Amino acid sequence: MPSRKHYSVLALAATTSLLLAACGAPAGTPVVQTVVVTQEVVKEVEKEKVVEITATPVPEWTTPHPILSDIRVRQAIAYCTDREKLIESVYGYLPEEDRKKLLMDTFIPKDSVWYARNVDPNANIVDYPYDPEKGKALLEEAGWKLPQGGSIRVNDKGEPLALRFTTTNAPFRQTWGAVFVSQLQQCGIQLLPSYIPGSIWFGGNSGLRRRDFELGAFAWVGETEPPGVTLYACDQIPRPDNGWQGQNYMGWCNERASTAIKQANNTLNDAERKRLYAIVQEEFSKDMISLPLFQRLEATAHNKELKGLKADPTEYYTASIADWELPGKDTVIIALGQEPASLFLLQESAAVATIVGQTVFGTLYTQYSYGFQPVLLEGDQFPTIENGGAQNVEVEVQEGDLVVNADGDVGTLKGGKLIDREGNELSLKGKDINGNEVEIKAGVKLPQLTVTYKFKPHKWSDGEPVKKADWELGYKVACDRESGAVSFFTCDRVVSHEVLDDNSYRVVYAKGYQPPTYYLPPFGYYPSHQKLADGRTLAEVPPKEFKNLKEVTDTPLGTGPYRIKEWQRGQRIVLEANPNFWKGEPKIKNVIFQVFEGGPAGAVAALLQGTVDVVGKEVLGAGQELQTVIEEANKGTIVAEPMGSPTWEHVDFNLNVR
Amino acid sequence: MANYLVRRFILVFVMAFVVSLASFVLLYSAPGGPLEQLVALQSTTRRPDPDEIERIMKRYDLDLNLFVRYLRWLTGHPRGPIVIGGQEVFGDLQVGCLKEGQARLVYPDGRVVEINCAKPVFLRDLADRPTGNGVIRLDFGRSQQLAREQPVIELIESRLGNTLLLMGLSTFFAIALSIPIGIYSAVKQYSRFDYFFTTLTFFGSGMPTLFTGVMGILVFALLFQRLGLPYLPAGLVESNRDAVVPLLGTIKAGSFADRLWHLILPVAVLTFFNLAGWTRFIRSSMLEVLRQDYVRTARAKGVVERLVILKHALRNALIPFVTLLAGVLPTLFGGAIITESVFNWSGIGRLFINALVASDYPVAIAYVLISTFLTLIGFILSDVLYTVVDPRIRLS
Repeated sequence: MPSRKHYSVLALAATTSLLLAACGAPAGTPVVQTVVVTQEVVKEVEKEKVVEITATPVPEWTTPHPILSDIRVRQAIAYCTDREKLIESVYGYLPEEDRKKLLMDTFIPKDSVWYARNVDPNANIVDYPYDPEKGKALLEEAGWKLPQGGSIRVNDKGEPLALRFTTTNAPFRQTWGAVFVSQLQQCGIQLLPSYIPGSIWFGGNSGLRRRDFELGAFAWVGETEPPGVTLYACDQIPRPDNGWQGQNYMGWCNERASTAIKQANNTLNDAERKRLYAIVQEEFSKDMISLPLFQRLEATAHNKELKGLKADPTEYYTASIADWELPGKDTVIIALGQEPASLFLLQESAAVATIVGQTVFGTLYTQYSYGFQPVLLEGDQFPTIENGGAQNVEVEVQEGDLVVNADGDVGTLKGGKLIDREGNELSLKGKDINGNEVEIKAGVKLPQLTVTYKFKPHKWSDGEPVKKADWELGYKVACDRESGAVSFFTCDRVVSHEVLDDNSYRVVYAKGYQPPTYYLPPFGYYPSHQKLADGRTLAEVPPKEFKNLKEVTDTPLGTGPYRIKEWQRGQRIVLEANPNFWKGEPKIKNVIFQVFEGGPAGAVAALLQGTVDVVGKEVLGAGQELQTVIEEANKGTIVAEPMGSPTWEHVDFNLNVR
Repeated sequence: MANYLVRRFILVFVMAFVVSLASFVLLYSAPGGPLEQLVALQSTTRRPDPDEIERIMKRYDLDLNLFVRYLRWLTGHPRGPIVIGGQEVFGDLQVGCLKEGQARLVYPDGRVVEINCAKPVFLRDLADRPTGNGVIRLDFGRSQQLAREQPVIELIESRLGNTLLLMGLSTFFAIALSIPIGIYSAVKQYSRFDYFFTTLTFFGSGMPTLFTGVMGILVFALLFQRLGLPYLPAGLVESNRDAVVPLLGTIKAGSFADRLWHLILPVAVLTFFNLAGWTRFIRSSMLEVLRQDYVRTARAKGVVERLVILKHALRNALIPFVTLLAGVLPTLFGGAIITESVFNWSGIGRLFINALVASDYPVAIAYVLISTFLTLIGFILSDVLYTVVDPRIRLS
């Protein structure tokens, strides 16, 4: 144990740091700022008799950007950008009216139910139509004047209005990027383009994640649940002192938006959530910290004989595979852009794994058109507070309880402090059932959610009915730290999980945890009866072995419309119809997932040759092949319905410099 | 000879070690990696917990110092503290860091020590980690991305057959065609035949397989099919359903004919590409030999021209050709990266590219290491073959 004397040294250093900070010590000098004390540091102190401990000064990334911190410049860039021309540069083959549908003006696509104008047509969204004159006027007002005979604006110090524009070297981005650069040039803004490899731009320790940009272009993938908490909240700005956590790469902190987005993710009232998201969209467009450009175009192309395929921006086409029909053929061949690394879906979340997974495991619910639809849930309805399937009641917090605070962090209340799994102290700010702020302490009342998930009776593909032990095994594996599961986010917020019978289980969530999508079943199941090659049943296998079991990763038993017959690594996965599927055996008897790792061109060639029946949106991407299938579809040789993707391109403005 | 071979084999292992170290360090120092996969999971509604990141780091040894990580990959050790006489030794030795820290110690003597680790990893922590047997026991570890947690060697085995077939056939055809063409071009130097094949081979070597492959698909697969002519498949190793081809009839999926049908285009593209270099080599080698005195003497003695060329000239012209064969061995294993990609041929070359793209380092390093090993063995083989084809050469 460290001696009292050494603690005194640390305390002195910490106090000194506060004093110096209060005195406003000049930046750049090696001042004592914070002390990160670990046991090992203290040991070191003892051994070496250290007299002073200081923290390494860390760059804060809080200094306003000399150009982009001025809202007039950002708005000018928005007015100087002709987004329709950007869309035309990459999707010139689309009719003009279709191109216009891709335009974005907030961070939520226009076809989403969460888009502010879908909630209220008079929502206060600020539009930025192409108006270079207005843009130029704003720049003049901001002090950026065009010198006599010059083409780049300068300020009164003679500094040019030049900004770095960083994005990936993908041909798609380079194409619209070049148009963007020339459009801003017309307004006297010089962009210095830097098209770098995706591995650098999206690298773990470089590019975007280190906020190493001024103007940065990339795409976000929209989700059924609206995004935003990690993108736009004030405490999500990546900086060295928080380990670069968060995705608010712009460094945008708007208290109204930040509060609204947090509240939107911590209330169960959908109408209230829509109102809150509208607030965020208003502030987002007003502050112009990120210029939304356009939704990408996507299409799922398929054999024109194939019926029943449902293409949708937020759901995979295989969600409807049980209903497909292919007259005259007993096999449907689907192109995969890459091979799933594993079908152990607790570990694997790539699109290809989900696509194959939906075929083998089926789906408990679907996510069509930015919404959720029950599939295997009893009575075809989700358990909600309104229908009595869930209860949200106020309960008193006790010492030792698992509690979620207003930031969404979970911890255990110990000695008046909220302590997380790592032993870190968390904020004691909580929210009561009405959304009012309360201090988390013993005796205070917080909402607690209890949900009972009920399912239709159904069978595994080997004919064995799904039973209680299967759901218990599902929870056990999903929440075992050694199982190889990637995320324990929900597990960490569960107080109890009780399997009631063969077709239902009840979950009691931590006090204060108010997930908006509480009605979605959080845990799945495993066939506890499945016999393994070594003679054990799956129920007898420790969770830590699951990730290495071929019976789990390669040939899992499921309850979906098809079952795996053979997986030839690197080539294809062959499946056959499941006669025990709860909706009845599918009409198409076989499914083959053919791997096309050489790029989409091979898959498209195979589709045109008739050796493949479906090429999904995740294979086609946004390049030349997309154009090819749309043109072929127009000729009538195949079917390909283009639609706005939930993936949308935008340009972020970095409001800070190092 | 024996001494020579022993020395060369020792050198092979030293070289393989250096290559393994270099490729390991270079790849793990590059941006990306298994952690990227976790970061990619970071949805727009939440970010990964620090313990999620730490779990991934532990699983793939990313929290260990690069050298310790390399040692474990190469030898399967260290697996925990060293135990001598029941006593743990070096258990407290720090071998890595799970979480970076930000503290600085200033010592009385003025030394400044950065404490950059808030969660150090000690040798004793390795005891409960799964560890392979090490590359030296032919355990290349487990795939981190492409076939998560599956042994790398299984992944390589699953593709090896296809690559050997493609590369073996194309190499065979390239050699079989290049020798007669090279000889004839040399013998009939500056003839129309020579000009034609010289042009053709220049074209072959100048055109990348990416171009000839795509053109082949466009013409012989798509265009021919639309014109109702006998066509070739656009790619893949075999069909998933029976195909009806004009003049050829029904080709049953998975049959021998089907495999052959799928081989034609990629083998042709690779043969065309390889043919160029080898034909030029044989031609120039033959031209050199044909000007030798002993060839002139043979002709002067009245030996039949065919015998002069095949017996006197060709045998000697082929001696330098043996050196080219040294490069064939790693190629047979390594595959043709571009051709395999264009034709969606499930082979080793494509596996390597996929591994690089997905930052699946154990797979990529295994490929590099095996290729290096085969290249070095190929050199030794060519040296030995020299002594066989040319009695004047002795290895010492």
